Amino acid sequence: MDLNGSYSFNAPPERVFDLMVDPKIVAACLPGCEQLEALGENRYRAVLSMGIAAITGRYEGVVELQDLERPVSYKMLVEGKGKPGFVKGGGEVRLSATESGTKVEFSGKAQVGGAIARVGQRLMGAASKVMTDKFFACLESKLAEQEPSGG
Amino acid sequence: MTTRMFGSAIRRREDPRLITGSALYTDDMTLPGMLHAAMLRSPYAHARIRSIDASAALEAEGVVAVYTSADAEGELNPVPCAWLLPNSGLVVADYPSLAKDTVRYVGDIVAVVVAETRYQAYDALDLIDVDYDPLPAVTSPEQAAQPDAPQLHENVPGNQAFHWTLTGGDVEAAFANADVVLHEHIVQQRLIPNAMETRATLAHYIQASGELTVWNTTQNPHILRFVSSAVTGVPEDRLRVIAPEVGGGFGSKIAAYPADFITMLCSKKLGRPVKWAETRSENYQATTHGRDHVQEVELAATKDGKITGLRAKVWSGMGAYLSLAAPGIPTILHGLMLSGVYDIPAIQEDVYGIHTNTTPVEAYRGAGRPEATFMLECLVDRLAKELGLDPAEVRRRNFIPAFDNGHPVVTGLTYDSGNYQGALDKLLDKAGYQDLRRQQAEARENGRYLGLGLATYVEICGLGPSQVAGAIGFQGGLWESAIVRFHPSGKVHVFIGASPHGQGEETTFAQIISSELGVSPDDVKVVHGDTDNTPMGWGTYGSRTTAVGGAALAVTARKIRDKAKIIAAHLLEAAVEDMDYEDGKFFVKGSPDQAKTIQEVALMANVAWNMPAGVEAGLEASTFYDPPNFVYPFGAHLAVVEVDPETGQVDLQRYVCVDDCGPQINPMIVEGQVHGGVVQGVGQALWEGAVYDEDGQLLTGAMLDYAIPRADRLPNIEVHSTVTPSPHHPLGVKGIGEAGTIASTVAVYNAVMDAVAPLGVQRIAMPFTPERVWRAIQDAKEA
Repeated sequence: MDLNGSYSFNAPPERVFDLMVDPKIVAACLPGCEQLEALGENRYRAVLSMGIAAITGRYEGVVELQDLERPVSYKMLVEGKGKPGFVKGGGEVRLSATESGTKVEFSGKAQVGGAIARVGQRLMGAASKVMTDKFFACLESKLAEQEPSGG
Repeated sequence: MTTRMFGSAIRRREDPRLITGSALYTDDMTLPGMLHAAMLRSPYAHARIRSIDASAALEAEGVVAVYTSADAEGELNPVPCAWLLPNSGLVVADYPSLAKDTVRYVGDIVAVVVAETRYQAYDALDLIDVDYDPLPAVTSPEQAAQPDAPQLHENVPGNQAFHWTLTGGDVEAAFANADVVLHEHIVQQRLIPNAMETRATLAHYIQASGELTVWNTTQNPHILRFVSSAVTGVPEDRLRVIAPEVGGGFGSKIAAYPADFITMLCSKKLGRPVKWAETRSENYQATTHGRDHVQEVELAATKDGKITGLRAKVWSGMGAYLSLAAPGIPTILHGLMLSGVYDIPAIQEDVYGIHTNTTPVEAYRGAGRPEATFMLECLVDRLAKELGLDPAEVRRRNFIPAFDNGHPVVTGLTYDSGNYQGALDKLLDKAGYQDLRRQQAEARENGRYLGLGLATYVEICGLGPSQVAGAIGFQGGLWESAIVRFHPSGKVHVFIGASPHGQGEETTFAQIISSELGVSPDDVKVVHGDTDNTPMGWGTYGSRTTAVGGAALAVTARKIRDKAKIIAAHLLEAAVEDMDYEDGKFFVKGSPDQAKTIQEVALMANVAWNMPAGVEAGLEASTFYDPPNFVYPFGAHLAVVEVDPETGQVDLQRYVCVDDCGPQINPMIVEGQVHGGVVQGVGQALWEGAVYDEDGQLLTGAMLDYAIPRADRLPNIEVHSTVTPSPHHPLGVKGIGEAGTIASTVAVYNAVMDAVAPLGVQRIAMPFTPERVWRAIQDAKEA
């Protein structure tokens, strides 16, 4: 399954980048994220609770950030499994400066298996879009929260 | 009066219990102390198993045992393949019931949980932690045959399980001298059989006696006993297989499956009855699929429409392992039928059986023959278009002329009897073909796209002579047996090896006895499906139950009649040569008033107070009937469709068929078989298709995503017949179970292609979803 999308922020790339790789912010903004703890540099153990189609459940896995080039790009690898099946994916996030701030683009691939693949696959595209939109909207609100002190 | 039972559309005697819910299926069976099994299946299409940790599952409430491959070591032999095609380089890869170190499709079993209740067993599956190391997967047989494809089995290089070839006549010359050569690339998409009853096994092993009783949803209980004995080591005399009511199969209940053997193993280890019943999701993932061919076909013809040659390459997806009968289906049951209803002088085919990371493939209604009929019949329609001839006319120019006692074709078969032009003529007449062509022309002028699709077919069924079975590598016989027993009161027990799963043999077999021996069908009880209580049978598939089992029964009834005649002659103090028989009565020629009824004879034979010298007591006979040839039913079908070019929607407006299965024992059952068969074939053309993603995940894993035919999407099916008896069958009958499916997919295909021909569309892949049809129309517009 292909994952693609973009989002725009009213802040410079450096600030957006720092936010996106900050585990505390990610833990707060990733929908369904119950735990995110560091396993090493840029490597985290994550517990996610998600419902896709009629399939709900908890997934446990590892998130890893690679090739960090502040504030331009980084790669993200995710591997997790739970009762409803497994997810394995990876992709690249690219940030570019725009007149109004930053444009974030991401593209990647995900492999899913188990009950989510069998029953929920048709809805995975839509579900992941909802999740990423929520994630970015949350990041935007975090940016706004930082505005008074930072600006 | 009773002689007219042959040919009478009496109601099926099994239906009252089936439609009132009083029938008992495997999953209805409950034994004292029974445990429940659940299978842990791989979510990966291809992966190494690093480790399995079942400790948490073992501690769960109600869980009695968890077994993995280590527990089956030395206890279960590999799942066998029983169609060992000769001269094909066949390699049978190891097929363990419980995956050892590698899983090869989504659904491969890695562990089994046995618990006190089914819920506890299924819940505990989630507590088993399997560490997988995923490997690259491949799902298309064509791609799996490429040199750089992921490899499934170490001893099967190139994933090629076999390469089967067929050559008849001078194919090179046929193509070199042809006026017209047509080429087609056809994908016979993978189908999911969808029997109404999913699969189940109840195994009861008594450790004290070493006896194993197995209730199972099988189409062939005696084969299951034979195979289970080989896999579990329980001797055949200690192993009893019972197929209670079986709710459909279409081929998917031929195979003996890993889950069956695992359930037997659980009962053997625990000494308690263990039942496993699959969920519908499991059925989609792990019960065998059908079709999955990629076909490259070429047809050679003269400019006046005479077919001179056929050449084909087929990549047949076998799935991850070779299922029980799988290698014979895309080869023997496919390639040998490529001459169809025509005398084609030269035919060549190469079939590559290729493993992919998918569910194993088996027979599915028609099994090889629909795929052969499709190749031929779609090209015949193409030839008609190419030459500007009507498709009915091209067929007329190529048909084998009517014959009633044997016609050899270039593939090596000898068809028994046929009148192909007769069937087509009747079809064209009943359908009003010329009028439909006029309507089509008018509709086109008004911007509407009607299509007419013909399919003429002959099928090989009534499998078959056992000597042939041996020569083609089938690891069993193909005869059938019957025992007929008259009780003192004149009531009859029939014990039959063939075991039905919806064919209505309790009715048709009672009709055979009734017409042969003059008893009411209500006085005949047909016993089947229990290996301890019935004589050997080789299974219900290949439209063989009536064609072979029915023959065994007819011959047995005639033996009874011969013995009864001797006893009646004795009772009437007459010479046997002077005796006549009619309608259940024995009498001296010319004196029908002084008759002994079969019931009177049965009573005397059972009490044996006054028997002729040298005649044994009892009125009972048995037969092992090995047919001298296959039977070859045939027919002609027409589909009428309208395609909406704006939406791509295909509307199947009419379906007319003429089928010839010889004399019909029960025309209502024949009609029912034709209906079901036609609908299953239409399903392939319009709606059905198993879809895997590139990683081997089955995306059509539930009825939400796999469209099976619905009554409200189908027109009334207009069923007609002609009657051409088989010359070698004691009753002249042929099989009818698969006929509809063999013709209808390509009839609908041809109709849709005929409808969209004016729009310039050359080819559409099945199933004909509106999107695919619409895209094909748009592509043709742009081209």
